[in-house]
Amino acid sequence: MGILRLAHVDLRVPDLDLATAYYTEVVGMNLVERDEDTVYLKCWDEADHHSVRLRYASRNGLDQISFKVEEEDDLAVLERRVEDYGFPVKRVSKGEEVGQGESIRFETPSGQLMELVHDVEKVGTLLGKLNPSPMPVGLPGIAPPRLDHTLVTAEEVGEACRFYRDVLGFRLTEQLLDGNGHQLGVWLERSGTPHDLAVVVGPNGGFHHMAFWLDDWDHIRRAADILAYNGIELDAGPTRHGITRGNTIYFFDPLGIRNEVFTGGYAVDPDFPTITWTEDQFGRGLFYWEGEVNTRFLRMHT
Amino acid sequence: MGILRLSHVEVRVPDLELATAYYTEVLGLIETAREADRVFLKCWDEHQHHSVILRFAPTYGLEHMGFKVEHEDDLAVAESLVESMGSTVKRFSPGELAPGHGAAVRFDTPSGHVMELVFGMQQVGNMLPRMNPAPRPQSLVGIAPPRVDHIFLTSENVDESTEFFQRFGFRLTEQILARDGHQLATFLERSHTPHDIAFVTGPNGGLHHFAFWLDDWNEVRTAADTLAYHGVPIDVGPTRHGVTRGYTLYFFDPVGNRNEVFTGGYWVDPDFETITWTEEQMGRAIFYYEGQVNDRFFTVHS
Repeated sequence: MGILRLAHVDLRVPDLDLATAYYTEVVGMNLVERDEDTVYLKCWDEADHHSVRLRYASRNGLDQISFKVEEEDDLAVLERRVEDYGFPVKRVSKGEEVGQGESIRFETPSGQLMELVHDVEKVGTLLGKLNPSPMPVGLPGIAPPRLDHTLVTAEEVGEACRFYRDVLGFRLTEQLLDGNGHQLGVWLERSGTPHDLAVVVGPNGGFHHMAFWLDDWDHIRRAADILAYNGIELDAGPTRHGITRGNTIYFFDPLGIRNEVFTGGYAVDPDFPTITWTEDQFGRGLFYWEGEVNTRFLRMHT
Repeated sequence: MGILRLSHVEVRVPDLELATAYYTEVLGLIETAREADRVFLKCWDEHQHHSVILRFAPTYGLEHMGFKVEHEDDLAVAESLVESMGSTVKRFSPGELAPGHGAAVRFDTPSGHVMELVFGMQQVGNMLPRMNPAPRPQSLVGIAPPRVDHIFLTSENVDESTEFFQRFGFRLTEQILARDGHQLATFLERSHTPHDIAFVTGPNGGLHHFAFWLDDWNEVRTAADTLAYHGVPIDVGPTRHGVTRGYTLYFFDPVGNRNEVFTGGYWVDPDFETITWTEEQMGRAIFYYEGQVNDRFFTVHS
């Protein structure tokens, strides 16, 4: 019942061909469908139609973040809850959006457009369902199996956090508090992992990064090799997070949108007691090995 | 809602001291309570009071397995479901079955195993603080897996066992089919992983193994070093499964119960389409690298 996991991130890019080349050849996603101004991409182990949508626009940015719900009824339940909170909800009918059925859309208190969807077209993974090998061979680029999470910015992290918890049912795994007890960052989950969505202090509507899952630390190393080979600018890492315990690399797509590859973490039960980080340990919280955060990481977002 | 994950495994051991020494010093579990004939253990990252119970008995094998439910009401729902199938179910209040234990129901499965559902086991915390925690403790001994992962049982009628567990909301991720179409082995989940429980054809009541999670393949290698150092007999691996895609190492505790360390796998949505393996691909299904299964793996269980 309720939200299952991140479904897709829809981005605006000022150079569709360049972005498509990067996401298919360097990240190594599969191109599922393309029309004049939009490209639909998925990771090799994803069965659903797409996990990243690129749309041509004059400048880069976030169109929306879409989460998958478990049952069709969840849309009606969550629509009502978002409306009761005071935010208008738009229903998008089946057929209006490529690769998926009916969905609901609304703006969140952190200023991002959010979509919830149940009925997604299944296109299948690259492996099939009869005697499949554990992985496809010969994939180009980093080839992550799936999208993992996203991090957005909000002026009032506390308000955003209340909305995501009380209205949408996210659970708070970790939080970063300032000296006055205000939330500077929150990590929220629905999928039993450290985070599906995180919010850090910054402008409303801001998009910090989206992350792809890798299976282990050795794949993180290999991803760094592939990024360097292709001349991609690394932002931070390979390193380890204190928050989420994940191993990570941050880097930028050619249009300036931050990507991450992520692995590790821990299992989260619904009764998981929230972990708190204090502001003086912010450095270790974000980058555990270095103990400090570069200015670019804090300031740059889409 | 419903069953979340494997909570704990109670195994019989004819030498409680020897078994306790192995599980605490070689596997690196933590002793949380002890009675005259039972020792309670947990993995370092688990918050709950116990995930492995060793019970002194003249023989070895599985005494019972426990699954964690999300809500207390789930116990009553399970109770009526079991009764509607004409079986008896026993209800236990918190603490009645074991120190730190929650409210529970117990019943027999068609394959002759004792199944327990538990809610509200005492939280004793993992080995890290809730404020500014390091990603892992430094004083761990042995293999030190962060948590238990799944259990694998033998059943004379795998089709029947599978159907029984599906009635409790378990979803079938993978199956190995005999040439005549009956199920030789099935893999079922509640936690969005490839399996929380699995069945293979064999005597009713049998325990094939229970598995501990490791974070990556490199830790599976280190586990092999630790086992070899202690002279623990390795059954198979390190290798890779076709089914579940997991990386694995099988070995025996000193009284003959099979253990596994496991990592990898994939994310499972509730609408995941079941993967089917055919009997002639059984070798690759179970051990993908070798393409064949040793006799001991099929015939030895506890």
